[in-house]
Amino acid sequence: MPSQDQSPRNTSDNIDREIAHHIETLTEANIAQGMSPEEARHQALVEFGGREQVKQSVREVHVSAIAESIAFHLKAALRFLRKSPSFTLAVILTLALGIGANSAVFSAIDAVVLRPLPFPNGDQLVRLDQHDIQGRDANRFVAPVRLEDWNRLNSTFQSISGYYLDDLSETSGPLPEKVTEILVAPRFLETLGISPALGRQFTPAEEHWGGPNAVLISYALWQRRFHGDPDAIGKELHIGSRRGDSFPIVGVMPASFQFPSRDADLWAPSAPDAPFAKRRDATWFTVIGRMKPNISIQQAQADLITVQNQLGKQYAKPDSELTVEATPLKEVIVGGVRSSLWLLYGSVSLLLLIACSNIAALLLARTTEREHEVSIRFSLGASRKAIVVQLLTEVFALAMIGSLVGLLVAAAAARGFHLLAKTLPRAEEISLNWRVAFYSLAAALGTTLLCGLFPALRGTRRGLAHTLAAGSRTQVSARNPLQWALVGVQVTLAVTLLIGAGLLLRSLQQIARVDPGFDPSHVLTFQISGSWGETADMKSLIQHVNRTLDSLRSLPGVVDAATADSLPGVAFLYPLEFKIDGKIEPGHPLLANSRYVSAGYVDTVQIPVLVGEACKPDSTISDILVNRAFVSKYMKSASPVGHVLSEAAYNDFAPKGIIRGIVGDAREQGLNTQPVPTVYSCFSAPIPFPNYLVRTAGDPMAMAETIRRRIHEIDPSRSVYAFAPLQQHLDDASTENRLRTTLLALFAATAVALACIGLYGTLSYLGRLRQREVGVRLALGAMRNQIVARFLAQGLRVAIIGCIAGVALGLALSHFLANMLYGITALDPITYASVVCLILFVAALASLIPAIRAASINPVQVLRDE
Amino acid sequence: MAPLEKTDLLQGTLDLLILKVVALGPVHGYGIAQRIRQISSDVLQVQQGSLYPALHRLEKRGWIAADWGESENNRQARFYRLSAKGRKQLAAEEETWNRLSKAVALILRTAE
Repeated sequence: MPSQDQSPRNTSDNIDREIAHHIETLTEANIAQGMSPEEARHQALVEFGGREQVKQSVREVHVSAIAESIAFHLKAALRFLRKSPSFTLAVILTLALGIGANSAVFSAIDAVVLRPLPFPNGDQLVRLDQHDIQGRDANRFVAPVRLEDWNRLNSTFQSISGYYLDDLSETSGPLPEKVTEILVAPRFLETLGISPALGRQFTPAEEHWGGPNAVLISYALWQRRFHGDPDAIGKELHIGSRRGDSFPIVGVMPASFQFPSRDADLWAPSAPDAPFAKRRDATWFTVIGRMKPNISIQQAQADLITVQNQLGKQYAKPDSELTVEATPLKEVIVGGVRSSLWLLYGSVSLLLLIACSNIAALLLARTTEREHEVSIRFSLGASRKAIVVQLLTEVFALAMIGSLVGLLVAAAAARGFHLLAKTLPRAEEISLNWRVAFYSLAAALGTTLLCGLFPALRGTRRGLAHTLAAGSRTQVSARNPLQWALVGVQVTLAVTLLIGAGLLLRSLQQIARVDPGFDPSHVLTFQISGSWGETADMKSLIQHVNRTLDSLRSLPGVVDAATADSLPGVAFLYPLEFKIDGKIEPGHPLLANSRYVSAGYVDTVQIPVLVGEACKPDSTISDILVNRAFVSKYMKSASPVGHVLSEAAYNDFAPKGIIRGIVGDAREQGLNTQPVPTVYSCFSAPIPFPNYLVRTAGDPMAMAETIRRRIHEIDPSRSVYAFAPLQQHLDDASTENRLRTTLLALFAATAVALACIGLYGTLSYLGRLRQREVGVRLALGAMRNQIVARFLAQGLRVAIIGCIAGVALGLALSHFLANMLYGITALDPITYASVVCLILFVAALASLIPAIRAASINPVQVLRDE
Repeated sequence: MAPLEKTDLLQGTLDLLILKVVALGPVHGYGIAQRIRQISSDVLQVQQGSLYPALHRLEKRGWIAADWGESENNRQARFYRLSAKGRKQLAAEEETWNRLSKAVALILRTAE
């Protein structure tokens, strides 16, 4: 029975006590013989001898068994690896790239998709949208009064709050600075579970109409304007033109708090009891809620639908027409990029698999060369286990070095991800942390087993001991099928990756060919700050915007100017249901995208007017344009101009309009989206900070400074921001697509290169192995080109089998790509055919060289050597 | 008879002696040293520097087991006893030893 005290601490303690007991007993024996106690103890110590030495040698008994074998194996492994530096370097580089790329993508997936949002219990947070039951209005924003009703009547939420954005001008500095202010419903920070880093939250008085002003500022604004001075609390900001202008700072938010967007500078209360907030058809807030613990999102949504039904009985119009949808907040934030990230992760994992099978093939070849060494070890009495452990330790040492270098790759990639902040949500949270390090280590372990186990087991089979006796002559290898299988796996995976990359490339190509229906060149876009408060006096807001546009048009170098509620070519879908001449056809809803544009819009972006006329300076919101898609879908028989269009839903924001003209179809939803039926209302100030579009004679960005100065002249309290050519918005909108395509293409190219190296290496190796056979054949009169053909055929056979398997795998996996493609299906025959041709061509090249080399030996030389 | 030097003990012999002594019943390190000395009439004196590493090595191999207990002078001491595996090992080693010593004796006698 083993003793219970085996841990190292206990062992050391045990030895001490045991020795102490021995010396004491010895001392007592000495005393019994008549010595004095001091003398007795002294004598005992002398007799016992080197106490520390004894302890040390006992300790060694315990430690050596494990440590010695690890150190021994590692030392042996390193010695062995040093002996073949080029092999070592090749494997380390392959693994560093494979594990590094894999860890890098994992770090992104981990930070963006796997980890909860950076709020306490972030999984309890949901976004709550209202929806028109009949789908007549896509507006999901919620009226302040309804938000308060939801918060009061529900039973599944801890709290419900909401926010909307104002782009304003802050004028306490020398120049007006654009700030993004988040106007928040009561309980905003409480719902998110965040407190200010400095200062305090809003008081209840500040959240009510007529209460004192207060703002919380972002960490970035605090650093930018106050250089992190704690005395910033209590200072006043002059924002926009509301309520006496000045807002005391009551707190600073933590640096990590960037909700709802990175641009957020300020948070200020929006009072639900303000007189203008009473309308139930107001559409203000994006609503967020924190569910109670252990409540599922389905329960929460069902609860709120019940609440909304109650409200519908109380306020038939508009509440009876609304329902509620709950979406996890994380889904809202990262849902868009999740599939791209998993796609990349899948690709790098395939790449790592290819790298593994490549290394496994290399190791297998080496195992054959090491048969002699292994059989000597066997005959010296080493157990098979010991030899397998030794072989695996070698691979593990390689994988560990590879994974350390890989971590450097991942660290560099993390920095790269930060540059993508515009496209990738939560990019700033991506970092090299212990989770990534741990993952990388696990990848190294997995790789070791994957690459090393099979060759190690294979190389130490029982029968191997006989090779000592058999010599190396009969090595026309029986292990070939396995090596070819590994090459086949590499080709298969490379084909699969190449198909994915090919499909994405083909759809990018299709998008580039598309005619957008408008001309984005020579168009400058920007915004001018404004507050939703200005929408209270619509007339003066419209006048203001029109005056600004006139002033811009008078600038030399400006061809035309216009405003729009959204930029063409950037996804913005706002479908509404319309009725023509007041008639609704049941079962055939007239859904069209609604856009608000000013006079000059179609000229500025050069959408052709087909019939009638475009918006004019004196047009009003009741003047309407429709596009060709609208006419061909909904108004085939009638001549459209002059007919009356109105919204089918309750919303009376946009009154009846008369169709004044028909314009051409433009891909305003994005270049990769077919034009949809669209209704343009002539309305220059749909939002207080509309997008300005200016067609310039020369380089658009060269006009930015002139425009900024002009706006400052006519309205010094506003700031001008977000200058960018329209083309850049189009590019930004496709960044994710291009990035994903580029990366996948890169992975696929690497995969093909690895597979070629595998093919080349295996054929070369085979050529060496069969030198004698080839020599004999040549001596017996075989033609060299026959030999070349035989080797080539062997390489191509594997490539063809790999292609078939790869195409099958590609067909099975391609549906993951279906949503990312444009203009082709996931089964696009051209892509598949070109991939197969490319692979066969490259495989033929990779096989040809070793085949020629194998056939070019001198038979006399070979036979003499034997 | 003068005590033999430590180096005179054949490699592996100490293990055999320890197993044999421990087979007589639970005993602590000091006791083992004492008993080897007494039984061999002071010819074999085990050095502590060899005794304790040997004890722990045997324990690690599972041939003897150790527990803390009270010694005759009312102190806590580590008592060693023979395990089932150790008993087999002892039998094997005794057998080997007997054959070896018989063989050596035979050679010495015949060569006289």
